[in-house]
Amino acid sequence: MSKYLDKSIVEIHQLLKKKEIYPIDLVEEAFNRIEKNKDLNCFITLNKEKALKEAKELENLEVDNLLFGIPIAIKDNISTKGLKTTCASKMLENYEPIFDATVVQKIKDKHMIIIGKTNMDEFAMGSTSRTSYFGAPKNPWNKKKITGGSSGGSAACIASRMVPLALGSDTGGSIRQPASYTGIVGMKPTYGRISRYGLVAFASSLDQIGPMTRDVYENALLLNELVGRDSNDLTSAWREEEDFTRLIGKDIKKMKIAVPNYFISDIVNLEIREKISDMITLLKENGATVDFIDIDYIENAVTLYQIIAMGEASSNLARFDGIKFGYSIPNPESLEDLYRKTRAEGFGKEVKRRIMVGSYLLSGENAVTYYNKALQIRDDIRKSFQKAFESYDLIIGPTTTTIAYNLDQDIDDPIKSFLDDVLVIPVNMAGLPGMNVPIGFSSYQMPIGLHIIGNSFEEAKMYQLASWIEKKLNLDLIPKEGESHES
Amino acid sequence: MNRDYQVTAGAEVHCELKSKTKMFSDSYNNYGTMANTNINEIDFAYPGTLPTVNGYAVELALKASLALNCKINKKMHFDRKNYFYPDLPKGYQITQARSPIGTDGYLEIEIDGITKKIGIHDIHIEEDTSKSTHYKEKSFLDFNRNGVPLIEIVSEPDIKSDKEMVAYLEKLRETLLYLNVSDCKIEEGSMRCDVNVSVSKTETLGTRTETKNVGSIHSAGMVVLVEAKRQIEELEKGNKIQEETRRYDEKENKTTLMRIKEVGNDYRYFPEPDIPFLILEDSEIERVRENLEVLPDARRKTYLEKGISLGNANKLIQNKQLSDFLLNLEDIDLVIASNLLLGDISAYLNKTEKTLKETKLTQEKLKDLVKKLSSGEITNKVFKEILTELMETEFSVQEIISSKGIETINDKSYLIEIVNKIIEGNKNSVDDYKSGKDRAIKYLMGQIMKETKGSANPSLVNQLLLEELSKR
Repeated sequence: MSKYLDKSIVEIHQLLKKKEIYPIDLVEEAFNRIEKNKDLNCFITLNKEKALKEAKELENLEVDNLLFGIPIAIKDNISTKGLKTTCASKMLENYEPIFDATVVQKIKDKHMIIIGKTNMDEFAMGSTSRTSYFGAPKNPWNKKKITGGSSGGSAACIASRMVPLALGSDTGGSIRQPASYTGIVGMKPTYGRISRYGLVAFASSLDQIGPMTRDVYENALLLNELVGRDSNDLTSAWREEEDFTRLIGKDIKKMKIAVPNYFISDIVNLEIREKISDMITLLKENGATVDFIDIDYIENAVTLYQIIAMGEASSNLARFDGIKFGYSIPNPESLEDLYRKTRAEGFGKEVKRRIMVGSYLLSGENAVTYYNKALQIRDDIRKSFQKAFESYDLIIGPTTTTIAYNLDQDIDDPIKSFLDDVLVIPVNMAGLPGMNVPIGFSSYQMPIGLHIIGNSFEEAKMYQLASWIEKKLNLDLIPKEGESHES
Repeated sequence: MNRDYQVTAGAEVHCELKSKTKMFSDSYNNYGTMANTNINEIDFAYPGTLPTVNGYAVELALKASLALNCKINKKMHFDRKNYFYPDLPKGYQITQARSPIGTDGYLEIEIDGITKKIGIHDIHIEEDTSKSTHYKEKSFLDFNRNGVPLIEIVSEPDIKSDKEMVAYLEKLRETLLYLNVSDCKIEEGSMRCDVNVSVSKTETLGTRTETKNVGSIHSAGMVVLVEAKRQIEELEKGNKIQEETRRYDEKENKTTLMRIKEVGNDYRYFPEPDIPFLILEDSEIERVRENLEVLPDARRKTYLEKGISLGNANKLIQNKQLSDFLLNLEDIDLVIASNLLLGDISAYLNKTEKTLKETKLTQEKLKDLVKKLSSGEITNKVFKEILTELMETEFSVQEIISSKGIETINDKSYLIEIVNKIIEGNKNSVDDYKSGKDRAIKYLMGQIMKETKGSANPSLVNQLLLEELSKR
C-alpha cells in the first residue's frame, strides 16, 4: 500500500508536478486510511464520490500551487455547498448548505480536495468532542482517551495521518486544545484574519477558523490560503498580503519571550510544567530572553467567556426553530409546540444548557450585571496583553492543564469542560492569535503541547518560534499502530 | 370629553426606506413581487450567514434624521432584539437600541395658524420582518419583506389632541416623501404607525396604552379621541388603566384589547457582534446635509411669495412631481407655470396615466412656454392646441407652432382692419362702452379673437381696440 500521505506537502507536490503520482492516488490513500481507522470516528460525513471525481478532473489541470490536489478535512460546522454540515447535531443531521463558506471557496480555488466533514462537539460546545450527536472521536495515541475538542475529529484525522490538512474552529481553545492532546500543530489566528462567513456561529465575537496540520510549515502554508478581508464578513480585517512562512528557519536569538505566572501555577499538571520548564531552559540556552510576568485579569477569562459565549450562543442558535431548515417535529399541535419539541429533541444536553444559561444572562437587568460588565473586563484583558506585548515578542505557556484523559472521565461535570480551556480562553477574549506546537510526551506516551501567543496579526513570528522548537526537538509524532498504552 | 383631563399622545412610526437592496443583505427591496423571490441565504438566516450594512439605507436614515433636526450619533452600533416568531428567521431582529442614528429632534406642525414643535425622541435603523398571512388553519410566510430597511421615528409625548396627531403624521409623511426616503404608503405597509395615548388630571403622565398598526393618518387621530375617551370613562368608574397593546377597529370606531404587556418585556438586547461600530464622518454628514431636498415648508414659502394662492401652493406640495418640476425655475412667472401644471398638464397626465417624467416635457420647454404666454406671444388657446405635441415630442414650442401652421398674428395693419370691422358690426357694444360699461370690451375682444380663430396676439388686440375706440 502506498504511503504518499506520510510525505511532506513539498515532497507530494514534487511528485504531482513530475506526474509520478496523481491527486487520485492521494485521495484513494486518504479514504483507505480513514476506512482502516474507522473506529477513531473522526468523520461525520465523507465526500468520497465527489472527491474521487474531482481528483480525476484535476489530472487535466496544471499543478499550479503547493496545495494543489492535497486532501483536506473540514470541521463539520463550516458550510460546504451540497455536502452535509451537521455541526454534530441531530438538529442539522440532514442539512445541506446551499452555499460555500468563504474559506471553503478559497480551498476549492486552490484545488485542494475536500475529503469529508470532521466530528466535533455539538455546535462546537465542549472541550472533549463528547457532546457530538454521532459519538466522540478517539485519540489516535490511545483510543481510550479523548481527542479534546471541539475540533476533535480534525485533530485526530491529522494526528493519525489520514489527511495532511484540516480546518478547525476555535471559540475558546477548540483548535489548540485538541491539537495539544493529539500532538499536532493548530493555529487560531487573530480575530478577523479569516472570514467567518459560512462558519456556523457559536459565539460570534470569539469564533475563528484556523488550520490544523502535521507540522508548522504546512500550517503556515494553509493559513496563507485562508486569510483576507471578505466583503461578506464585516468583522474580517483588511491586511496586506503576507507569506506566513517567511520567518520560518530564522534564528530566535534575542527573541523576547514572556511566561505568565498563572500559566505555570499549580493548576497545571506537574509533568506538563516540567516540559515547559525544560522548554524555557532550551530557549534561554539558545539566546532568547524568557521572563515570568503577570497578566492582569487572565484568571477571570473563563468566567467572562462563559457569559459572553453563552449569551451570544443563545441568540445565534435561535434560528433553529423547525421552520426553515434542519430538524422539525412532525404534526406540531401549535407554534409553541413546534418550537418546544423541535428544540428539545433537536439539541443535545450541553447545547440546551448553554442556551438556557445564555438566555438567563441576557435577561432584563442581567444583561447589565453580567454581559456588559463582561465586555468591560474583556477589554481590560486585551489591554493587559497589549501591555505585555510592548516588552515581549511572544508569550508562551502550556496549552492545557492536563493530558488527554479517559473518554468516560468527568462526563457529567459541565464545569470541567471549561476548566480544560482555562489557558487557551484568554487568547480568544483578547482576539489574539494562539497556537499549539507539540513539545513531548507524558510518561504514558501522550502528547504535550506548547501554547504560543502572539500580538495581533503577528502569526508569522509565532511560526518562527514554533518551527525552531519543532526542528530542535525533532519529535516522532506519528502514533504507533497497535501499541497499547496504560493510563 | 371631560375637560379636567389632559390627553397626551405620541407616535411610533415605521417607514420602509427606498433603497434598492435590503438592510443587511444584497437581495432586492421590491414591493409587490412574487412571494419569496427577493430572498437569499442571509434573509433566510441560513447557519453561518452574516449581515453586511447597506450604506445607502444608512444615508437615507441620516437624511431623515437631519431633516427632523436630530443630533447625529457619529459612532453607531447595532443591537440584537431577541424573540421567537416565524416571521423573524434569525430569532432576533437587528435594530439600534442603544445608539440610534438620530436623537433629540423635532418637527414643526401648524394648527390653526399656530406653530408647535413636536419632539422626536429618536430615529433608529432596523430591519423589517417577513410577512405572515393566515388562512384557515395554515400560516404562510413571505420573506420578501424580511430585512427591508426601516427607520422607526419615535416622537416625544408632545401631542395633545387628535388634530395634532393628524398634523404631525401628515407633516412627517410629507417630509419623508420629499426627502425621497420612503414611499410612505400606509396601505402597502411602507409606513406603519403605532399610537400611544394616556390621560391625566395632573402634571404626571397617566399610564399609556399602545394601539398598533393604525391603518391611516385619519384613524390615528381617531385613536387619540376614542382611546382618551375610553380611558377617562374607565378612570371615572374608578378603574385603573393597564399598560396594554390595543388595536383600532375602523368600522366600530373603537379600540379593543390585543394583549396585556408583560412586565418588563424581555428582548434580551445585546450589541450585535457581527457588525463593528459604524463611524459617520463629519464630512459625510455635511455632504448629506448640503444635498438635502428642499422641504415642503420652504417650497410653500416661495410659492406664496411668488403670488401663488395658498390653495394652489398646497396642491403643488401634495403632488411632488409637479413641485419638483418647478425647482430652480424661480425666475419665470410661477403663477402661470403653476396654473399650467395644475390645470391642463395634470389633466393630460391623468388621462394618459403618465408621470411627468414619462413625458417629453422638460423644464426648459416649460420655461419657454411660460415666457411666451406671459408676453402674449402665444395664447392659451394655442397652448391647448399644442399640448399633446409638447408632452409627446422632442420639438420646442416654436417648432411645434411652426409645424402646425398656427402663428400668432402680430401684423398691426391686418389686425386694425379686423378691429375696425368688428367695431362697425357691433354698434351697440361700442355705445355700451362709451357709456361706461367695461364689459363691452370683453365682448368685442371675444369677437375679434373669434374672427382670427384665436390666433391674434391678445394684448396687441386689446391695445389696438382701445386706440380705435378712443378715436370714435
